[in-house]
Amino acid sequence: MASLRDIRKHISSVKSIKQITYAMKMVAAARIKRAQSAILASRPFAGEMDRMIADLYYELDEEDLAGTAAQELFEGRSAGGTLALVLVTADKGLCGSFNTNLLKAAAAWLRENRGRKISVVVVGRKGRDFLHRLKGLDLEIAHEMVGIFPKAGYVHAELLSEAILKIYTELPVESVTLIYNEFKSMISQRIVTDRLLPLKRHILEKDPATTRKAREFSFEPGKTDLLRALLPRHIGAQLYRTLLESQAAELAARMSAMESASKNASELIEGLTLKMNKTRQAMITTELNEIVSGSEALGG
Amino acid sequence: MGKKQLLLTIMTPEKTVLADKPVEFVTIPAFGGEMGILPGHASFVVQLKEGMMHYKDGHHKEFFSVLNGFAEIHKDKVIVLAEAAELGKEVNEERARQAYQKAKETLAMRGADMDLDSAQASLRRAAVRLKVAEFRRKHKQ
Repeated sequence: MASLRDIRKHISSVKSIKQITYAMKMVAAARIKRAQSAILASRPFAGEMDRMIADLYYELDEEDLAGTAAQELFEGRSAGGTLALVLVTADKGLCGSFNTNLLKAAAAWLRENRGRKISVVVVGRKGRDFLHRLKGLDLEIAHEMVGIFPKAGYVHAELLSEAILKIYTELPVESVTLIYNEFKSMISQRIVTDRLLPLKRHILEKDPATTRKAREFSFEPGKTDLLRALLPRHIGAQLYRTLLESQAAELAARMSAMESASKNASELIEGLTLKMNKTRQAMITTELNEIVSGSEALGG
Repeated sequence: MGKKQLLLTIMTPEKTVLADKPVEFVTIPAFGGEMGILPGHASFVVQLKEGMMHYKDGHHKEFFSVLNGFAEIHKDKVIVLAEAAELGKEVNEERARQAYQKAKETLAMRGADMDLDSAQASLRRAAVRLKVAEFRRKHKQ
């Protein structure tokens, strides 16, 4: 049986762990509000951006688009080239199954595309370390970005989109896939595997009734130039949303993980305290017994 | 009233700076040079470069710094989508100058981190802010 001293030590260590997990929970809870409002604030911009590109796309004639860099982004490319993956993970652990599930999804995707040439853009320390550990794959880490959470800004999204476009233009990339955690609610996150490029599907899926009829706008500079300038921004806005979603999801995951950790610690402390008291009582009883029997032996 | 007005909206990825504000006159830093917009303007989509935009609303004038973006003018609605936008009077000259210095130093150090890219971005931002602050100084006196 553990001695009284051991139990006391154990209790105090559990207590300090509980303090830490509780503090982490509170920090995550405070940050998540800001993360959520950042998501809300980014929505109108992304919506307007989509609308503008759709407007522009319907104004374009086939021959306007042919042979430009913008077309490359819209239309699919021939199959069989390199595949690109954008993986968004957290920088830190202690957020439940957030990273584990994400890395599992990424591993599944990599397994599916075994044998292809793969180029990866990775956000977050956990994802980077995971990819560095992988062996025996035709994998190249084209760009990595660590330490941006929990202060992800549009600047980061812009840098990411630059990196992705660079890969897309330099290599015969067939498609760019995005794997990240979506913030669904405070208690649940969902892993999303999404196609970032080519864009066509994304825009044409929209209801055509919402777009205006053609030939209404003048453009400066030319339509194609404008589209070429708009598309990277569009990708930037998409990535920005992704980063914010992932950031909020991470905080939510950490909050619930830390909350259950604190709860478990409380339970543990309760159990240990009970055990300590029982041990103490047992000791007192034994001592009393000894004293009584001692005095009985002496006094007769 | 009877007087025609424009509805001005300025958005950045991070927040909506102005939403449907009725104004009389707007100038934007278009790609080919400054562009003035009055009510009844033809529908237009234009790329912006970094610079200043002004609007006038009665006797009240206001100016903004904007960074790379787009503007759409349609049926007396002006929508500006910029990477960053800041109200002229909110620009802090001292801070902008410090940021400018700091970004320059970071660029000079050439660290291996990704800070290099963000330093470049903040350098551009700071340059526009300084321009706006200078403009403000000139016009106040």
